[in-house]
Amino acid sequence: MWSFYFSQLADSIPFFLKGLWMTFKISGISLVLGTILGFCVGIARAGGIKPLRYLLYIYVDVMRGTPYLVQIFIVFFILPEWGIQLAAFPAAIFSLTLYAGAYICEIVAGGIEAVDEGQTEAAMATGLNRFQRTRYVVMPQAMRTILPPLVGQYVLLIKDSSIVSVIGLTDITRVGWLTVQRIPEGIMVFGLVGILYFSICYPLILLSNWFERRLRAQGG
Amino acid sequence: MIRFEKVNKWFGKHHVLQDIDFHVAAGDVAVICGPSGSGKSTLIRCINRLEPIQSGDIVVDGMSLTDKKTNITRLRAEVGFVFQQFNLYPHMTALENVTLAPLKVRKMNQNEADELGRELLEKVGIQEKASAYPAQLSGGQQQRVAIARGLAMRPKIMLFDEPTSALDPEMINEVLDVMRKLAFEGMTMAVVTHEMGFAREVANNMVFMDEGKIIETGDPERFYTHPENERTRLFLSKILSH
Repeated sequence: MWSFYFSQLADSIPFFLKGLWMTFKISGISLVLGTILGFCVGIARAGGIKPLRYLLYIYVDVMRGTPYLVQIFIVFFILPEWGIQLAAFPAAIFSLTLYAGAYICEIVAGGIEAVDEGQTEAAMATGLNRFQRTRYVVMPQAMRTILPPLVGQYVLLIKDSSIVSVIGLTDITRVGWLTVQRIPEGIMVFGLVGILYFSICYPLILLSNWFERRLRAQGG
Repeated sequence: MIRFEKVNKWFGKHHVLQDIDFHVAAGDVAVICGPSGSGKSTLIRCINRLEPIQSGDIVVDGMSLTDKKTNITRLRAEVGFVFQQFNLYPHMTALENVTLAPLKVRKMNQNEADELGRELLEKVGIQEKASAYPAQLSGGQQQRVAIARGLAMRPKIMLFDEPTSALDPEMINEVLDVMRKLAFEGMTMAVVTHEMGFAREVANNMVFMDEGKIIETGDPERFYTHPENERTRLFLSKILSH
């Protein structure tokens, strides 16, 4: 029986690769946009004016305090009631970007706050403006602390992207659900799903560890 | 060159600077001393507005710090600042530390900036360490790089906030030598320090602070030998006994 299902599964490989490509696209685009959002919000929150800062705290806490499943439901099923109709793909990108941005903001703000205040003062004292201080003095130092957890966060977000399957996007997870209805060997089908996620995530885990080791070697 | 007019500053409820009137003429060296917590570091940090003041005014090279029209970034470029903890940028070489502001603020080209940087590192006696990172330098060398960085914008005024307090004793003199040289070249300086030998040699004006007030000012010789105020006497007896 197993070998029969196995050959059937082998026939489904193109379907799985399509799912893999979808997961890749959704998490790739969301992570790029989420990283840009997270850095903007994180930098604004670490150095910003008070009212803005509170607003950003609310954003980050709401996103971090609610499950991504609920967020994507709100974007896909509730926003249309207010006249904002998004197709499944943009809805997934939009919600995952907001979600990723919140976590990345925390990491970025934490990295900036870990840079000694004296660095900013020294840059100020030589006449560098706020942008120059951030760009040349604070961020290069903050990046060393930011990179390991940032890449670690990417891994979590790629795995969270499996939730987009609930709004009908055919990512790896949904390919698994559809396949298991034809091939009732869950261990085989979801084993393959797991392997595909692992093949995306493991290089990132290695990269994160490498950043971490480099940080320690520099005595940071 | 630097003038304090009835300056007051609070940290929360703590009144750290109380009605400070204080003046440093062009080319003069003022040395400020006093017990820790007396407000001396705060006083010097107010001059380039690393700390804001709540009342009174500070005029630096004709520019008022409380005047909204004053371009504070430009003012800071006219004033070099040297910190107790050096605060060198750890991700840049000694030369890059010195040239960052000339490159970005003065928009110098790389060659001009490097030339200026090397000239300044030579002036502080560590031209051979131009490509070393701060972590590879001793405390004394780091502080000399920091002085070169402070000079890189060609400031009219140099401020020093306990520049030798974080140094091992054997490195204090190499830093003081550089400061002496600057003083003799006619740089206007305000220095927070307890280094008496340095003060006697280069200061035109001694300032003693305690609990947020200026208690006594005067020329260094008289200040050290015949302090008028009881608190000054007490303080000097403590720092001079070792």
